[in-house]
Amino acid sequence: MTRTMLTGNAAAAWGARLAEACYVPAFPITPQTEIIETLAGWFADGSMRGRFVTLDSEHSMMTAAGAAAAAGVRTFAATSSQGLLYAMEVLYTVAGWRVPFVLVNVSRGLSAPITLGPDHNDVLAARDSGFIQLHAETCQEVLDSILMAYRIAEDDRVSVPVLVNLDGFFLSFTREPVELPDPEEVRRFLAAPESRPPGFSASRPAARGVAVLEGPTYSYFRYQLHLAVEQARVVHEEAAEEFERRFGRRHGMIDGYQLDDAETVLIMAGSFATKGRAAVDRWRAEGRRVGLLRLRMIRPWPTAELAAALSGRKAVAVLDQDLAPGLGGILFQEVAAVLARCPVRPSILRSFVGGLGGKEISRAEFDHVLQVTEQAGPNEGPVGPVLLMTAREAEQVGQRLRIAGHVPEEALP
Amino acid sequence: MSTQTVRGAGLEQRSVNRDGFGPSGPSLRIRVRFHGRGGQGVKTAGRILGTGAFLSGYHCQDFPVYGAERRGAPVASFARIGNRPIDERGVISEPDLILVADATLLDDPAAGVLAGNEAASALFLNGNPDAPLPDLGNRLHLIRWDLTGAAIGRLGRAGALSAGLGAAAARFVGIVAEEQLVEAIRSEFTHLGLSTGEVDANVAFGLDVFRALPTVSFRDVAETEEGLGDSVVPMIPADPLAGGPNVISPGNATLRDTGAWRLERPVIDRDRCTRCGLCLIRCPDGAISWDEEGLPVIDEQHCKGCLICRQICPIHGIGLEEEARP
Repeated sequence: MTRTMLTGNAAAAWGARLAEACYVPAFPITPQTEIIETLAGWFADGSMRGRFVTLDSEHSMMTAAGAAAAAGVRTFAATSSQGLLYAMEVLYTVAGWRVPFVLVNVSRGLSAPITLGPDHNDVLAARDSGFIQLHAETCQEVLDSILMAYRIAEDDRVSVPVLVNLDGFFLSFTREPVELPDPEEVRRFLAAPESRPPGFSASRPAARGVAVLEGPTYSYFRYQLHLAVEQARVVHEEAAEEFERRFGRRHGMIDGYQLDDAETVLIMAGSFATKGRAAVDRWRAEGRRVGLLRLRMIRPWPTAELAAALSGRKAVAVLDQDLAPGLGGILFQEVAAVLARCPVRPSILRSFVGGLGGKEISRAEFDHVLQVTEQAGPNEGPVGPVLLMTAREAEQVGQRLRIAGHVPEEALP
Repeated sequence: MSTQTVRGAGLEQRSVNRDGFGPSGPSLRIRVRFHGRGGQGVKTAGRILGTGAFLSGYHCQDFPVYGAERRGAPVASFARIGNRPIDERGVISEPDLILVADATLLDDPAAGVLAGNEAASALFLNGNPDAPLPDLGNRLHLIRWDLTGAAIGRLGRAGALSAGLGAAAARFVGIVAEEQLVEAIRSEFTHLGLSTGEVDANVAFGLDVFRALPTVSFRDVAETEEGLGDSVVPMIPADPLAGGPNVISPGNATLRDTGAWRLERPVIDRDRCTRCGLCLIRCPDGAISWDEEGLPVIDEQHCKGCLICRQICPIHGIGLEEEARP
C-alpha cells in the first residue's frame, strides 16, 4: 500500500488506472482537465493499456463511452458542468442501454454568469438520467468510489452506468494524503476486465439499444431501469462490505457524524461536509446536540437510510449547494419527501442554500444555519430557502455592482 | 499505536504514526497563503510546503486557485498543516502566514494580498528590503528578503521562485527538516519533468533560502479561526439589470491596471517602423493604437506583455525589456 499526496483529479485518474479501464474517450473541460491529462500521459507511456481517444465534444464522448461499454470494454469518462449538460441527451440514452461504465463529474457552477467554482447544479441535473450517483467528500473517497462504482455498475443485478462526483477546486485541485490500494487487491475486488462478457461478436449479430415505438414496451424498459437502479442499494452495501474487508475503509450510502444523540441534524453533500464536521465539533463543545448527515449516494436516493437516521429528531436543516429557481434547494425537497414516511417526524425542517459557484461557507454561516433552525417554531410552513451570504461578501458584491454601473442599494443591505 | 509504510510517487519509504499522525502535543494548525504572478511558481511553492509537511508526518492540504488568468496575472495558492486531521476546505481568507512573491502585488486591490491581514502572524515580502512600504498592519513578524536576487544567483532566472518560496514557507513554519525539504523539492521538480541539473540547482536555491531565514512564531489556533464576527444578510429582489450579470458603465475596464501583469515589455523601434499596423491588429488586448504621427503606440497600463506584437512584426522592429520590479 502506498500513501502519497494526490489532487482529487489525480485520485480520479488513479481510480481509472487501478480499475484497468481500457477505453477512455476524452474531452477536456476545466476543472476536470487534469484527469484527462494524467490518463493521456499514462496511455502514452504504457502505464495504462487500451485506447485513449480525443473526441470533438462531450456529446460524442458520452456516445463513444456508451458504445464501448456495450461492446464489453471497461470504460472511463470524465466531464464537468456545461460539458455534462452538453452530454445530457446521451446520458439518458446510454443509461437506457443498460451498459456499465464510470463517469466522473467535477462539479462546477452552471452558466450564466459563467464561473469555474463548484456547486452541485450540474451533477443534480443528471439525477433523473438513470445514472447511479456517488458524491465524494475527500480525495481518498474519489478514488475509492470509482473502484466501488465499477463493482456496482458491472453487477448483473444492476448493469447501469455510475456517476462519481467530486467538487471542482475543493477536491479537483486540492492535494491531500491518499492511500493507493494494491493493484492485486483491486483486481480481486473487481472482475478482471478481460473476463467481462463481450457485448458484440462479428460471428453473432445482435442489436442493443433498439427503438421501441409502442408505449407498453417503452414503459417496461424504463421501469426496468428504475428497478436496476433500486438494486444498487443492495449491491452497494455488498461492495462497501468487501471494500472495507480488503482496504480498511467503509463508505456507506449516507455518512453520519455525531448522530447518536443528536437532536438537530445538518444534511450536506460533497467536500464542504468536512467544514460541516468542524462546525458540529464546535457546537458539541458548547454542549449542543447536533450531528451531521452527509449524502454520499444520491441515486438511488437513500430513502430508508434517511428515514431511519432522521426519525425522532427534533430538527433537520438541509444545506444545498445548488438552487432550483422557483423551488429552492433540490436536496431539501428530496429530504422533505423522505420525512413524509418517517413514523416520528422532526417538527422543524429548514432549507439553506450556500456555497454556490465555489463561494465559501464560513463559520458565521454555519452558525446562522444552527441559530435559524433552533429558533424555528414547530410545523411552521416552509420558509426559504435562506441564501447564505455574509455582510462582508455582500459588500464585495456591492463594489462589483458599482463598478459595473449599478446602484445596488435596493438589492443589498 | 500502529504504524504504516508510505511511499509516494518517487518518494522514499517512511514510517508514520497512523493514529496521531505527526507529533502530539498542543494543537497545531498553520494556514499559509502564497501570492505571486502567473509563472512565478506559487502553485509549486505550495506543493513543496505540502509535500514537505507530508514527508514530516503532518496532516496537510495544498491547493492553488486558477481563473482565466495567464502569465503575469495575480495568482494564489494555499497550504494547511496540522497535527490533527484538516477539517477545512477552500481558499484561506485568514492566513497565519502570507508569502508574497512579487511586491508589486501590494498595489493591486484585485490580488487581495493583505486580505485577512489582521490575523496573519507573519508576512514575507520578496523584494528590496529597503524599499518604502504601505501600512501593513500589526503582526508578529515582517520578513523582507531579496528572493529574486537569490534565484538569479542560483538559477540565472528571475521568474522561477518556487523552490525558494516553498523553502521560505517551510522554514518559517518550522516543522519541516532540511532532509524533507530537499526530498519535497526533488519530488515536485521531477514531477514537472525538469532535468537532473535543473532539479539540483533548485535544491541548492531552496537550501540557500532555508538556511538564511529564521523560523517564526504563530498565534494560537483558537485566535485564528476563520469567519469570526461576520453575519448572514438577507437578499431581496433587484431590478432585472442589477439582478443580471450586466455591465452598464462603459469603459470601466480602464479601472483595471493589467499592465502590472507584464514581466517583459515590448519596445517599438519607431525609426524602423513601416506603419503596416499588424501589431495593432494582432494585439489581443487592443492595447496598441496609432499616435498623431501614424505610428503604433503601446498603452502601458493595459499591455500584459504577451509579446505577440514582437512575434508578428515583419521587420523584427519590436524589442523587449525586462520589467523593473521594486
